[in-house]
Amino acid sequence: MMVEHLSFKKGKRSRFTFVVFNYLFLTFLVVVMLIPIWKVIVDSIDPTSVGIRLWPKQFSLTAYVNILTRKSLYQPFLVSVYTTIMSTFVGLLMTTLAAYVILQKEIPGRGLMIAYIMFTMLFSGGMIPTYLTYKNLGLINNLWAIILPAGLSTYNIVLMRSFFESIPSTLYEAAELDGCTPLQTFYKIVLPLSKAALASVGLFIAVGAWNSYMPYILYITDTNKINFQVKVRDMILQDGLSGSSITANDDMLKSAAVIVTIFPFLIIYPFCQKYFTKGVTVGAVKG
Amino acid sequence: MKGLRGVSRAGLSSLFCAVGEGTFLLKKELSLVESIKIGLKSCKDFVNNAKEVNKLKLFKKKEPVYKPPKKTFREKMVDVYHYRWFYLMFLPVAVSLFVFHYIPMYGIYYAFTDYTPFKEPTFVGWANFEYLFSASRFWQAFRNTIQLSTVHLILGMVCSVGLALLINEISNLKFRKVVQTVVYLPHFISWVVVASIFTLFLSPQSGFVNAIISSLGGTPIYFLASEKWWRICFYILNVWKETGWGTIIYIAALSGVDQEMYEAATIDGAGHLQKVRYISIPAISVTILTVFILNLSKVLNLFDSVFVLQNDSVIKTSDVIGTYVYRLGITSADYGTSTAAGLFKSVISLALITFANWLSNRIKGEGILG
Repeated sequence: MMVEHLSFKKGKRSRFTFVVFNYLFLTFLVVVMLIPIWKVIVDSIDPTSVGIRLWPKQFSLTAYVNILTRKSLYQPFLVSVYTTIMSTFVGLLMTTLAAYVILQKEIPGRGLMIAYIMFTMLFSGGMIPTYLTYKNLGLINNLWAIILPAGLSTYNIVLMRSFFESIPSTLYEAAELDGCTPLQTFYKIVLPLSKAALASVGLFIAVGAWNSYMPYILYITDTNKINFQVKVRDMILQDGLSGSSITANDDMLKSAAVIVTIFPFLIIYPFCQKYFTKGVTVGAVKG
Repeated sequence: MKGLRGVSRAGLSSLFCAVGEGTFLLKKELSLVESIKIGLKSCKDFVNNAKEVNKLKLFKKKEPVYKPPKKTFREKMVDVYHYRWFYLMFLPVAVSLFVFHYIPMYGIYYAFTDYTPFKEPTFVGWANFEYLFSASRFWQAFRNTIQLSTVHLILGMVCSVGLALLINEISNLKFRKVVQTVVYLPHFISWVVVASIFTLFLSPQSGFVNAIISSLGGTPIYFLASEKWWRICFYILNVWKETGWGTIIYIAALSGVDQEMYEAATIDGAGHLQKVRYISIPAISVTILTVFILNLSKVLNLFDSVFVLQNDSVIKTSDVIGTYVYRLGITSADYGTSTAAGLFKSVISLALITFANWLSNRIKGEGILG
């Protein structure tokens, strides 16, 4: 009977209390969640900011100027941009193709193809055999060995198939009757109808590729081919970053480096949030 | 679908108890085998409970389905010809999967060899596994993996469900949108950057948390390098990063609840908390179970988050199988033994996924594998 005792049966006033409490609590939560990120931003623009202070007293962009003029960061940045674009493009192409093929209910060998794709989700060689294989195949320091696996994930294929399944199959039949070849159906019917799906999966791949870290640690030894995340991590673990610069201290530079890493995402995020959410809920339908 | 309301009440609680009991026992230094036995018993109870409540037949026979008559070889070839373009479309995917997933599987063979960069692999049978099972470091990593992932799995789910219920109560759409945008955000920050942010945030010299501690008169704590605090930090960081993202699926489920149910409950005199307790929570129990089963199969795959937060002074409490394999295989270049450790993990993972799929099939009526 605890529940009855606790319930807000007694009319509107207690309901009101709950609502106020709820708004206050969620506001508090939002603020607490943002503090770590906010603190990094403040630290990056205020040379005097130490410890508790959460509001900048001074404003200076010297740390950003210092970071953005470092020649050693240009190459990693370009590598990141290149791999992100290639992963998204190639990944989307292969994901949609695979999803479209296994969507065909009557194709001979369909079960085999699904099993072929799904098995990679169930079992993998593991870190060391994969590393050794790449080494023996000469894929170490080859960016394609990172681009292709980043773009092609089994989960995305399943997600894409769920999206495609929501297109009425009568459309395919109509297209076939009108004399479309499968490829024509694919790019004239399927792709235009699943723009939201493409955006959703594409964004997931892009964010994943931009955030990629472990593959570079494992498969890239050439310093010309490491990406931005690895470079920034190295910088943050280093001491004496500021060198002879007097205007920007170490913490300020590190904070600025962190902000530069997440900046591209922070810009697109508010506009793309619905696509991210959509990807999760569609995947959930299938489980 | 219908039957799950019952599972949620009786079964889920006993399943959570089972997992909770398991971790508790692990802590009490009971031998692993015994605690697994107890865990299995609790699972059996869970299944029996579910059976009773829902009248589920866990070992039901499959009903016969209509199968079209078998095609002749010639007809099949006509089909293949009809679909020829599709095979061409599948080719790049097949090749890419083959190179990046199937060829490495061949490397599992190294688990049974003695292999370092300085000598060719020589077959040694089960020697690598014997070495591993007698190494205390390995079992330590195994125990850490189980503990870290179980606690973070349960903690994450409880927080996500709670937050989803709270967000669902918000009627002001703008406020709701702002809250959702903010809580989803950390999910997209990679673990490396999260580690960097919190290295700065928790730093003993200039970090925010330690500044508060010192201003209150305490001595600064080096959170990420202290055996006592590392795990707590790990759990908190996980909650910070993933709780918001986890709510999406529950919010979607909650928005699908028929509003008439709430109205009917109001007419019947139900209070607010009662509506949450008897309508909202049962309504998302299916989703909770699905998420739980899905996550269960990923329990051992803990790597990135630990790897970037770990340092030498907390290796004892933070080492998991993933990082153990990394250190053994990449840093010490002992390919044979590390492959064996990885294989051990993969096999258990496979068993867990199969179990999760079976559970999902029997309870939900459909597997997790599409």
